[in-house]
Amino acid sequence: MSTSTPAQLARAIDAQRTVLRVKGLSRRYGQLVALEGVSLDVLPVEVHVLFGENGAGKSTLISIVAGAQEPSAGSIEGHGRPCRFDSVATARAHGVRAVFQEFSLVPHLSVAENVTLGEEPLNGWRLLSKGPERASVQGLIDQFGFDLDAGARVSALARGKQQMVEICKALKRMPKLLILDEPTASLSGRDTQALLALVWRLKEEGTAIIYVTHRMHEISLLGDRVTVLREGRFVKTVPADTSSDELIRLMSGREIVALYPKPRAEVGPVRLSLENVTLAPQPGVMQVTNASVEVRAGEIVGLAGLVGSGKSEFAQACFGLRRLTEGRVLIEGVPVSIKGPADAIRHKLWYSPADRKHDGLMLERNSRENIALSGLAAGPSRGSWLRPWQEVAYLSELASAVDLSAGRLNHRVATLSGGNQQKVLLAKSLVQDVKVFVFDEPTVGVDIGACMSIYRCLSELSARGAAVLLVSSNLPELMGLTHRLLVMSGGRLVGEFKRGAFDERRILERFF
Amino acid sequence: MSVASLSGSFEREGRLSSVVPDIVDQPVRRRTEVFRRLIVNRQAIALPAMFVVASVVFTLGSPNFGTLNNLTNVARQSVYLLIISLGQLIVIVGGGLDLSVGSVVSLTSVASAMMSVVFAACPDTPLLALAAGLGTGVLIGALVGTINGVGVSVFRIAPFMMTLGISSVLFGTTLLVSGGVPVYGMPPLLGEIFGFGRLAGFPVPAIVALLLVAVTYIVLEWTRFGRYLYATGGNARAAELSGVRTHRVCIAAFMLSGVLAAISGLLLTARLGTGGANVGASMPLDSIAACVISGVSLSGGQGRTLTVVLGTLLIIIVQNGLNLMQVGAYAQSIATGGILILAMALARR
Repeated sequence: MSTSTPAQLARAIDAQRTVLRVKGLSRRYGQLVALEGVSLDVLPVEVHVLFGENGAGKSTLISIVAGAQEPSAGSIEGHGRPCRFDSVATARAHGVRAVFQEFSLVPHLSVAENVTLGEEPLNGWRLLSKGPERASVQGLIDQFGFDLDAGARVSALARGKQQMVEICKALKRMPKLLILDEPTASLSGRDTQALLALVWRLKEEGTAIIYVTHRMHEISLLGDRVTVLREGRFVKTVPADTSSDELIRLMSGREIVALYPKPRAEVGPVRLSLENVTLAPQPGVMQVTNASVEVRAGEIVGLAGLVGSGKSEFAQACFGLRRLTEGRVLIEGVPVSIKGPADAIRHKLWYSPADRKHDGLMLERNSRENIALSGLAAGPSRGSWLRPWQEVAYLSELASAVDLSAGRLNHRVATLSGGNQQKVLLAKSLVQDVKVFVFDEPTVGVDIGACMSIYRCLSELSARGAAVLLVSSNLPELMGLTHRLLVMSGGRLVGEFKRGAFDERRILERFF
Repeated sequence: MSVASLSGSFEREGRLSSVVPDIVDQPVRRRTEVFRRLIVNRQAIALPAMFVVASVVFTLGSPNFGTLNNLTNVARQSVYLLIISLGQLIVIVGGGLDLSVGSVVSLTSVASAMMSVVFAACPDTPLLALAAGLGTGVLIGALVGTINGVGVSVFRIAPFMMTLGISSVLFGTTLLVSGGVPVYGMPPLLGEIFGFGRLAGFPVPAIVALLLVAVTYIVLEWTRFGRYLYATGGNARAAELSGVRTHRVCIAAFMLSGVLAAISGLLLTARLGTGGANVGASMPLDSIAACVISGVSLSGGQGRTLTVVLGTLLIIIVQNGLNLMQVGAYAQSIATGGILILAMALARR
């Protein structure tokens, strides 16, 4: 805190004005220590950023503050008075609301119905008054500047839009303290801007905000102070204008040389090409029209665009997950007919899905089974019998290749942090002989440490001659890793940029 | 980036609105568009379409099918399954499943018949006998439903197992109470009113069923409880975090299902004039089938009242039509099952 200004110190001394003060908070799960003696204070008119790798205890800390978990030790004070948050409802009564990464939305209900859930407006007959309900929620949405229809069904919305529904839900009663857990992780473009502007405005209006993020530019843009956690322990609270190198050093406890490994210099022959692909129309999904891409051996090609621009659907086309009405898929120059994932894997092509929880992993099974699943036919357990011990030996090697500690192989995937889950997903793609990889949002909601492991792994794949198509909503990541970058908008490819000519502004312009 | 650059991106957003219509206003190729819409909405179309097809086939296959007399018959036959399907709908929407509805029907039938027989001993108070029978039935339904609900929500037993277990318990109880023989000697008033009675020309059971359909519709669509039911079935954790007391919702859903099954059992007893242990045997599966062909998702959170009415009618019409076409009972069972599977294949998501 040596860099704090006198004004900040003066504010900190005034305990009455502290919105939230957490002292010596610990949380243990049996032997496992998730949080150990962490302290934090949040001032009014402040965006307090929590920063740390996955597993550093950020999620545990905010779920305790939000009342979703109880601490094993430590105390919480709100406005100088001790309080005990034994449930989400109690925390809410104290004006604390949280938007978690795990959505708590009911998929089959509409946006408006989700937002008012638990506090529905009733008419004189004690029946639901649906019209006013929808109008008031739409008003709320418009006020926040989100692009969202209150009548839409939540299950039909993309992840980013669902995130906004969550935020509307948290803000229908103006909270005193708002906790946002990586709110922009699944947003892109316009919605991110709207969200950041909203956070800014909320702060100006007097709401204190705890903001968990991995994105450096959000820290410098929004944050006032940053509290860094590492391995469940409090490291330091620093002002937000601390350099990102310093923040990363605090977070990881080591110096970090470069975030993005340099792409391989020369590329080989064309491995994958999609020619003039047009996909069959589906309701609620952007129709991809006449899109072509070529990926060469050793090359990483980026596919950028807004959420819902059709970039995921395009990528899924080569894995047989979408029906092509026109165009064809060629692997090493030979046209192939891919009817489904099994066909694609036979052609040495792999697609890693964006939504690890729904499409990627069996959450209730351990990492070992998850990783081995698609390689059962090829790995140590080939044939009809499983050989779990050989699997363990083989998979430990794979796990170390993606920086997943071997001990985690026997953990249930549901108990792993987002970063480790994503590493499991990445390891899944390595168990079979694959020459073309398609990664869809491989770093969504993942901390910088895990991101670096994933980046390193992607670049090693390309260095060994694999062709990689990287779909991502994170533009800096694409610009850091790829040889070439294509932009998709409205289901069409609208721009191509070579590595030397990457220009964030010009690329972003193509998004809209 | 600073706030200034934030507002800069808002300006870019302004351009977005001028771009969007280009994407939306794609040229509509008429016939393919109509075809596409049909495919997209096949779930909504499948049920009415099958309804129409079944009606046409049976009208052609049997001259008696389309007569007013037979249609009244269909309406009367469908009452019992319909009421149970409404209960099943409520439970399934809430994320459960109720296999005990059949046993509730049996137990209600036997118990209410026995109660009315007891009270019929004093012939001066026919209404008392009636009330005793009805009260016993409804009470049993509510009690069984509550037990189911508590088992599922508080003790976290899978609904399938909980209601299967209860079903066995009830069936045993029914046989024990009745000694395995049908109960006779019920007051005639019961049958006169609730079995064969007419009000303004309409069969009383059908009126009861229609009233219950209306009540179910209002409860599911227009009350807070209904909304909580959809929320609990759709995502119980989310509902709980939003302040919904999901345990209560679950118990209430099973209770309603129990009560509705009991009402159906009472009407059936009134119609048959006896209480028997086997009257409800096919009800659990028939009611689940009626819900599923109506687009009710077995994973909860989805399903509409009025389509379930249609789904139930379809099942009854198929049974009725096959009867009229003099298809034997064994072949009928094969045909009904096949048609159900076809309906679900057409209505798949």
